[in-house]
Amino acid sequence: MYIVRRRIRPVCRAGSGKTMKNRRAQKATEKTAMLKIESVLRTPVKKIIAFGEGMRNFYRFVESIAVSFRSIKYLRFRSIYSIVVNQTRFTGVDALPIIVSIALLLGATTIIQATKNFPKFGIEGFIGNLLVIIIARELGPLATAMIVVSRSGSAIAAEIATQKQNREILSLELMGIDTKLYIVFPRILASILAIFSLIIIFDITAFFGGYLISLSTVYIPAGVFVQTMLDAFSFSDLAITILKSVLYGILIPLICCYYGFMPQSDFQIPIFVSRAVVRTLVILFVINAFISALFYF
Amino acid sequence: MKLEKNELRVGVFIIMPVVILLLFVVLKLGYSFASSTIDVYLKIDSITSIKEGTLVKIKGYTLGRVIDIKPVYKPALHFLAVLRIRRDIDLYEDCSAVIQNQNIIGDPVIDIRNPEKKGELLRAGSVIEGIEYVNLEAILQDVHALLATLQGTVGVIRDISLDSRSNLRTLLANLSGSMATVNDLLVNSQKDILEILTSFRQTAKTMNEISEELKKHPVKFLFK
Repeated sequence: MYIVRRRIRPVCRAGSGKTMKNRRAQKATEKTAMLKIESVLRTPVKKIIAFGEGMRNFYRFVESIAVSFRSIKYLRFRSIYSIVVNQTRFTGVDALPIIVSIALLLGATTIIQATKNFPKFGIEGFIGNLLVIIIARELGPLATAMIVVSRSGSAIAAEIATQKQNREILSLELMGIDTKLYIVFPRILASILAIFSLIIIFDITAFFGGYLISLSTVYIPAGVFVQTMLDAFSFSDLAITILKSVLYGILIPLICCYYGFMPQSDFQIPIFVSRAVVRTLVILFVINAFISALFYF
Repeated sequence: MKLEKNELRVGVFIIMPVVILLLFVVLKLGYSFASSTIDVYLKIDSITSIKEGTLVKIKGYTLGRVIDIKPVYKPALHFLAVLRIRRDIDLYEDCSAVIQNQNIIGDPVIDIRNPEKKGELLRAGSVIEGIEYVNLEAILQDVHALLATLQGTVGVIRDISLDSRSNLRTLLANLSGSMATVNDLLVNSQKDILEILTSFRQTAKTMNEISEELKKHPVKFLFK
């Protein structure tokens, strides 16, 4: 309304002529600029508002799960046992080949770089320490979590979304079963177990791969290599690895389940599955950086 | 209760890392599953005297022996001798290993020497740098050759000094005679020198007079 009034006003007041035209053109330019500024400002504001709403919705989702935990005493472990076993098998055991191959390659490439560049600085004896610092502290948990998100996270989101569209979740609710407790909780449990085991296996395999590659350039007795790594790997590293595995184990299924419950139609399933994977990955990187800064900075 | 295949796989998948983790904790706490001996490595350039069974000692006390020698090709050819030594004797990380003979004809022995400043204890798998191999026979031969050379040098110096003694004495006597002659010459010619100097002075006086006369009457001087 304000814009319309401003457009009419000069027509009523001014007479005809060049001055009038110039003034109109100037005002039109000003108006366009204002609109552009508004649209530029509106986009981030909208995004911030959407982010805030998303966070609030996620908080409500987590809160509803926490509320569901009150009725955990009614839940028989036998009823979720098969879900936990199947989910652990899918997230952990089935991911072993890819985890082992990636760990071997990652350990090997790290050591190749180290053996090429460390002698320049006269620190070729610190290969074991480098493996612990890079693989065990950072890359191991992060790479494992990324693989789990891309394999199992997407699967969880897609499975729940499909169940929702097929009204399987609705039927569970109609039967009086707490869906949050029955669907989300076993997946969290399974993810914690699987990610913890996968991180340990990833680290061990990466160390082994690194050791094999290091043998091609410099001979380090296996005992010395193991001893160096034992010395370099402290209890705090172990505690942080466990903390990361627990955090990732909770967050990955939680976020993926959240996005799995979101779709309102079949067509929205791929959108929310992709969103679940991308956002979980972003959150994982943020948490990883936060933990590293908190404990090592 | 019969376990399904899935359950077994998942069970092994969970238990295996837990066992590895517990093993790590146990090792990290300093416990060991090993026996009363530990294996450490001795890095050496050549294996001229060391062989399997060579004794490892500290201050004459037998710690263990060499159980294996491995060649290592990278970065340059060297050898790692595996020493199986007793765990109950404290050896420190910066200790050195000197390879030497027990006596002139004795077998070689690896003598471990602890550093003066005690650091961390030597652990299984540690590498000790072997200090250069000392061959006592070769050293004795070298010392013998050195002594022989030294003896020859001393003889030559002695001969030179004996031969030149008489010459030096003659030289000194001649030098003192020359000095006395110079002294006598100076004493004897003292009067003559004075007369020469007086004569020089008179000559100079005459020359002065001539020059003055020449200045006053140059033409007259010519016809005089």
